[in-house]
Amino acid sequence: MPQGTFLRLLVFFLGPALLVYSVFSIYPLLATILNSLYSHQRDGSYLWNGLGNFQTLLFDPTWSVPFWNALKNNFIFFLIHMCVQNPVGLLLAALLSLPRLRFRATYRTLIFMPTMLSVVVIGFAWQLILSPLWGIAKMFLQTFGLGFLFAPWLGLESSALITVSLISVWQFVGIPMILIYTALLAIPDELVDAATVDGLNQFQAFVWVKLPLIWPTIGLVSILTFVNNFNAFDLVYAMKGALAGPNFATDIMGTLFYRTFFGNQLQLGDPSMGSAVATMMLLIILIGVMAYLFLVQRRIQRYSF
Amino acid sequence: MAEVRIENLRKSFGAVEVLKDIDLTVEDGSFVVLVGPSGCGKSTLLRSIAGLEPVSGGTITIGGRKVNDLPPAQREIAMVFQSYALYPHMDVAANMGFGLRFARTPKAEIEARVAEAARILQLEPLLKRRPRELSGGQRQRVAIGRAIVRKPQVFLFDEPLSNLDAALRINTRVEIAKLHKLLAATIVYVTHDQVEAMTLADKIVVMNQGRIEQQGKPLDLYYRPANLFVAGFIGSPAMNFIAGQVTQGGIDLGPDGAVTLAGLTAAAVGSRVTLGIRPEHVRIADGEGGLRLSATVELVERLGEAGYVHLRLPSGTVAVAEIRGETSLRTGDRTSLALDPTHLHLFGPDGRRMV
Repeated sequence: MPQGTFLRLLVFFLGPALLVYSVFSIYPLLATILNSLYSHQRDGSYLWNGLGNFQTLLFDPTWSVPFWNALKNNFIFFLIHMCVQNPVGLLLAALLSLPRLRFRATYRTLIFMPTMLSVVVIGFAWQLILSPLWGIAKMFLQTFGLGFLFAPWLGLESSALITVSLISVWQFVGIPMILIYTALLAIPDELVDAATVDGLNQFQAFVWVKLPLIWPTIGLVSILTFVNNFNAFDLVYAMKGALAGPNFATDIMGTLFYRTFFGNQLQLGDPSMGSAVATMMLLIILIGVMAYLFLVQRRIQRYSF
Repeated sequence: MAEVRIENLRKSFGAVEVLKDIDLTVEDGSFVVLVGPSGCGKSTLLRSIAGLEPVSGGTITIGGRKVNDLPPAQREIAMVFQSYALYPHMDVAANMGFGLRFARTPKAEIEARVAEAARILQLEPLLKRRPRELSGGQRQRVAIGRAIVRKPQVFLFDEPLSNLDAALRINTRVEIAKLHKLLAATIVYVTHDQVEAMTLADKIVVMNQGRIEQQGKPLDLYYRPANLFVAGFIGSPAMNFIAGQVTQGGIDLGPDGAVTLAGLTAAAVGSRVTLGIRPEHVRIADGEGGLRLSATVELVERLGEAGYVHLRLPSGTVAVAEIRGETSLRTGDRTSLALDPTHLHLFGPDGRRMV
């Protein structure tokens, strides 16, 4: 092929994708990182600040206390998803793939339904459900004589983050379920038959035969959870507002970034500090994904049947 | 090894009966092959013996012990699956020893039995490999090895050769026959390949629509099929069937002519029958005689040492005749057929063999 033709083909096939990615993904990313190295002045001008913004963010108590708080909360948010959402998703997938289950499609649809709803709707609905004044959660518990268990979970510093996390788990549990369910369906029936002949019961066959074969999917689900959790913002914003109350108990990286960049109430928006927060988020996600790729992904074997 | 006895076995999925009153005895140390068209229930029967399918009625006895309510692992059976069903995440040795591990067999014994099976099947160099690093034939041997280490009373094979290519299939078939002799094993083997059935079996069981049509030694089924179904199913190319009516001293084949036949009872006169004859018992021969039919050549298949001539009789029935060596026949030629009277099969209106 002549050199010219090859180049033209290259431009023709790679050009459009390159253009779209450059304009909407690569440029904003680089611009954000660059932005985080400047200092935004009152008059709208920018001054070179090197890594000054990061120093402020990590070590100046005015900034570092909210930052570490948001980071800690975000890790708790993530851990609750890993410890509740993914195991429950796995359990639901295992139940869905039971051979003699009736109404399979109905369960699948119902469990997946919240995932398709808007986060704003979910947040609003749960706020009503959990309301100490007229929420049905309180009445529901009282009906069973368990009214003493009720507390204004969303309003207490001790329980707000856990409550918001669990609502998010409730909303998104359909995704790990459906991914793991699909992986389970791909395992041939004869393999389970062979395990049955080898003396394993259904549960043992799941643990010793099916589970090892779906580790790649569980790994994928974990990394998706990690990325989504560290980019989360909408549910907290919808339920608790940008201040992520009470007393920043539900503040995560997304809401911290929002207040820093756009400003909120008395806090003025600061594009440079906002970019620094965004860059930190990028770094955290990058470190997480790299650790997964190099430490976990390599040890996972994929199987074809 | 043990005898398997199946009595009045029934199995239905909802309203659909897939096994109807199956009676079958697999003698100790014998090789029984279940054959039949797809959907005939042969795999379901095998899976019922294994305990992978619950049955709706009847009894299954293995080695004198009724096993209906026992889980597969306690039936002392081992099964080789069509797709081999090896655990992809375990190496060959672990695959073979997996069942023993769950039966709490001491580690040393597991190792000894796996080594023994590996020796028999020449798998020793492969023990540390994963299934995906093995060829189809090697996977097949591992699947058989996994069955051997269990030291079962009965081996169950579910179409074990159908995923192998033609050459390997013949090799493995011979291996399985040797293994049967070596282990003196009781084997129940499902296949749809009648060459496998004829070569491997001590007893062939022909199934159709959930019923056993006939069971017996391979050549008995070949030479004395009990009914039209078995006659048509066993043998390749299939037996020729010509419709006719019994007359005094012979059979009237309508437009195809008539054949004279001794030994028909007077009572049979007038009944509709089907005349069956295998291609190798039909000769192409000019001239006249008691067992001659005229026909037109439709197609000649030449396989080298033998060939098959497809012929159309005047009634429109298609018949196949085997020829030895070369022939000058061509499509469109008119010729006549000589039927070997000692190999004629006669089936009554109900499809059963008439004596």
